[in-house]
Amino acid sequence: MPPDHTPSAADWHRALARFVAVIPHTRALGLEVLEATPEGVTLRLPWHEDLLGDAPRGLVHGGVLTMLLDTACGAAVLPALPAPEVCPTLDLRVDHFRPGVAGQAILAEARVVRVTASVVFTEGTLRQQAQPLARGIGNFVRLGPRNTPPGFAEALFAEQPFDEAPFEERNDHA
Amino acid sequence: MRDGFHDIEWLARTRAEGDVQAWLSLMPYARRIGVTAQADPDGEGLLFRLDPREENVGNVLLPALHGGVVAAFMETAATLDLMLAAREPRLPRIVDLSIDYLRTARVVPTLARCTLLREGRRLGNVQVTAWQEREGVPIATARLHFVLGAPSAR
Repeated sequence: MPPDHTPSAADWHRALARFVAVIPHTRALGLEVLEATPEGVTLRLPWHEDLLGDAPRGLVHGGVLTMLLDTACGAAVLPALPAPEVCPTLDLRVDHFRPGVAGQAILAEARVVRVTASVVFTEGTLRQQAQPLARGIGNFVRLGPRNTPPGFAEALFAEQPFDEAPFEERNDHA
Repeated sequence: MRDGFHDIEWLARTRAEGDVQAWLSLMPYARRIGVTAQADPDGEGLLFRLDPREENVGNVLLPALHGGVVAAFMETAATLDLMLAAREPRLPRIVDLSIDYLRTARVVPTLARCTLLREGRRLGNVQVTAWQEREGVPIATARLHFVLGAPSAR
């Protein structure tokens, strides 16, 4: 993709699919990207027995929901920036409306609320079959172009396999 | 009723025995990310450990643990700690969580300790600190609210 080209929805979908596929934890859980635009992202976590936190009652571990919100809010940050930039999570708040139940995929929708010079403010919602499970509010630090590895944007949209690209490089928290 | 957190007799028995392993065995996601607990050698409560396994990585190049996995570890720790530290057998259900990420979590063992700041009749507040090299250099702190349910009698 040439540098002056504005990524299309299809470009972002592909880029974020690579983003979740290169993260070992989300790759192992089979996390999928359904939609990705500067306005927001939608991810889908397929059902797996390992997601349970209370096996006898068939309830999803609350930590799965936090992990999913962190991932979805973090993914929403990338298309919302003027240029792809490395942004670690500063803090995250999760409100649990009801527990997730066994046997159903979990949908995650996240969007950027505001971008400032130093922080990206996001929010996300998790659902199972249209039933809201949890809400998350995540703030991400902009490390800036200086701390973003050269080739970051190129790697995001590159055609070659992800593992060879300097995509996920992050500096320590500033 | 099958054994489980909802069964007051089972919960009371495992709690009296301090059998945190029995509780963890019913939490598949906590097992998958490698959470273990032992009696705190420096205190009265529990010391928790997150295994630095490959599948917990959230950043391949650093590499670093997934922040969400660290949060799930801390929530597991808070839940188990509360079940043991509460005045009577109670079944905690999470209401909300707030986590601050202070440093990059390297792919090395992560430890955590919890403090029950308040145990009311209906709600509990737990604070969690997670660290790697030294307790004085935390990688994350979290605070959680739980509703304290009464497990049903058999």
